[in-house]
Amino acid sequence: MDPVSVNILESTMVSICREMGIVLMKTAYSTIFSEANDFTCGLANMDGDLIAVADYCPSQIGGLPLLVKSCLREIPVSEIEPGDIILHNDPYRGGLHTPEHTFFKPIFVQHELMGFAVAIGHVQEVGGMVPGGFCGEATEIFHEGIRVPPVKIKKRGKDNVEVWKLLLANVRTPRTNFGDLSALIAAVDLGEFRTVQTIEKYGKASFAETVKDLLDYSERRMRAELRAIPDGIYRFKDDIESDGVDEGRTYVIEVEAHKLGDEIIIDYYGSSAQAKGPINATLGVATSAAYNAVLHMTDPSIPRNSGCFRPIRVLAPPGTIVNVDYPGPEVGGNTETHPRIVGTILGAMADAVPNRTMAAEGGTHSNFVFGGVDADTGDYFICYDIAGVGWGGRSFADGNDGVDSINGNCRPTPIEVFETRFPWRVEFLAFDIDSGGPGKFRGGVGYTKQMVCLNDEVTCSQMTDRHRFAPWGLNGGKPGGLGATLILKSGSETWQNVREAFGKKSTSRYSNIIMKKCDRIRLVSPGGGGFGDPKDRDRSLVLNDVVQGYVSPAAAEREYGFKDK
Amino acid sequence: MKFSENGLYIERYIKCATCGILIYENCDQKALTVENVTYCSRWCVDWKNARDARRSVSSQKEGRLRRS
Repeated sequence: MDPVSVNILESTMVSICREMGIVLMKTAYSTIFSEANDFTCGLANMDGDLIAVADYCPSQIGGLPLLVKSCLREIPVSEIEPGDIILHNDPYRGGLHTPEHTFFKPIFVQHELMGFAVAIGHVQEVGGMVPGGFCGEATEIFHEGIRVPPVKIKKRGKDNVEVWKLLLANVRTPRTNFGDLSALIAAVDLGEFRTVQTIEKYGKASFAETVKDLLDYSERRMRAELRAIPDGIYRFKDDIESDGVDEGRTYVIEVEAHKLGDEIIIDYYGSSAQAKGPINATLGVATSAAYNAVLHMTDPSIPRNSGCFRPIRVLAPPGTIVNVDYPGPEVGGNTETHPRIVGTILGAMADAVPNRTMAAEGGTHSNFVFGGVDADTGDYFICYDIAGVGWGGRSFADGNDGVDSINGNCRPTPIEVFETRFPWRVEFLAFDIDSGGPGKFRGGVGYTKQMVCLNDEVTCSQMTDRHRFAPWGLNGGKPGGLGATLILKSGSETWQNVREAFGKKSTSRYSNIIMKKCDRIRLVSPGGGGFGDPKDRDRSLVLNDVVQGYVSPAAAEREYGFKDK
Repeated sequence: MKFSENGLYIERYIKCATCGILIYENCDQKALTVENVTYCSRWCVDWKNARDARRSVSSQKEGRLRRS
């Protein structure tokens, strides 16, 4: 097929995926969809290969093909009919983590299956030990909520009522969940409708041929990018500070990247055995993280589909922190371990492509979740609140300030929406001075959000990171600032971490602390590591940092040798 | 994966020891067992052997360096 036709079809399909996302954002009930955009919408061919995707949540993009292919192993194409919608969230069958629900709908044109419309979304309430899904102290999958193997939630266009009842009986907020799941269904309905229109416009044979050419084109582009990277074996290790259960023990992510010709093999051999606590990644996460890292190092104009993943092979030994075995807990693997895996791969490849990697970013989404019964309405509320972090400095620019971690691309919920929906008042939200790692190119700064509880009781849990191990610098850059979670109980004048305030093992991963009316919580997100020697930083940039409040005068003198006259 | 006879639940998850991908009993024709360890393909067996050899040489080198 000619390149113009391939490009037109690719753009059309990406537009369909974007529109699916807009439908999902506009129709969902919870803020994790409507504000944070924690979802991905894509199209797959009948083999489960990704053929188009919109730029929503990267952690789900690379995982999409494995998810769909895993489902098709259990519900074969021969058993799929028009109007069916398949639901799945099983972490051990290609899933990413329990909250991540995948919906896909077959696209039939004149009785012939042409592909699938796919929506993956983070459903904030899944039952289990804690309101909001992130149980920082889980030791088995059953603590983390309901696990759904591939099932048809719709059969030939009609609700499978038994599946709905089973799902909604196992969550704290059935009405909200019904709304969010229906929004995901609306997204795949629209994806199917628009794709059928597109195929009818171009013809089935032409569509199939063009999609095949598109995947081959992406593969060629990716192979050309990889060919330009020097061959070699590149290694890096990074440590994770805690699993929430065995506090004080550290866990290693080890990467050996074999770059040979136009292919790359990412081998995680040597990574720690799986943890007791919920920081384990699934195979889907380990695969997606490898794709994510390679996409960060290569030309962003390469169409994102399974074609560009073909030259990337991922080896994730089972029973390790990068490929959890049943029934190990895993909810933090998709949010916390994923960015750490990406950072470890980027660290390994820094020797090969220094201009395309970066120092460590904050590597956490904060994952502050809470729930309770609203004293005014009597309704059960739940929220999954995401925070931004500082990103690592690069060879050509400072790190991003206060944006969602590398695998999220999500938006923190605006204060106005947050305060309207939930019983907290945000007292301040501000960038943290000196939290960006010093460097020729400074790490991005993190921020602090402080809020006061307005409800009689709110049950809070968190799955975050970087309270002990700071994001590392690169090429002489220095580490970024640490994160923290601090509590000020009503009537007290002393801020405490959750270990001091509630006797929890870990300060960063904990479950079910009870905040009472007028208690305060302060969520501090980490900054990014710096890139290059701070002494080489342009003086005008240091001055601007001081003027803008990113760097204090004392740090400017200490780290950069800068004295403001 | 090994399903129960009635197909309603999973009795055992089987993964490739090298790449970690799920192996479906009676479906994955390329899967093989070497020294009681299951792999999804010959490629994964060869990779494991090559990695072991590489690491063995590497550790011997490190040993010599430490001694010197």
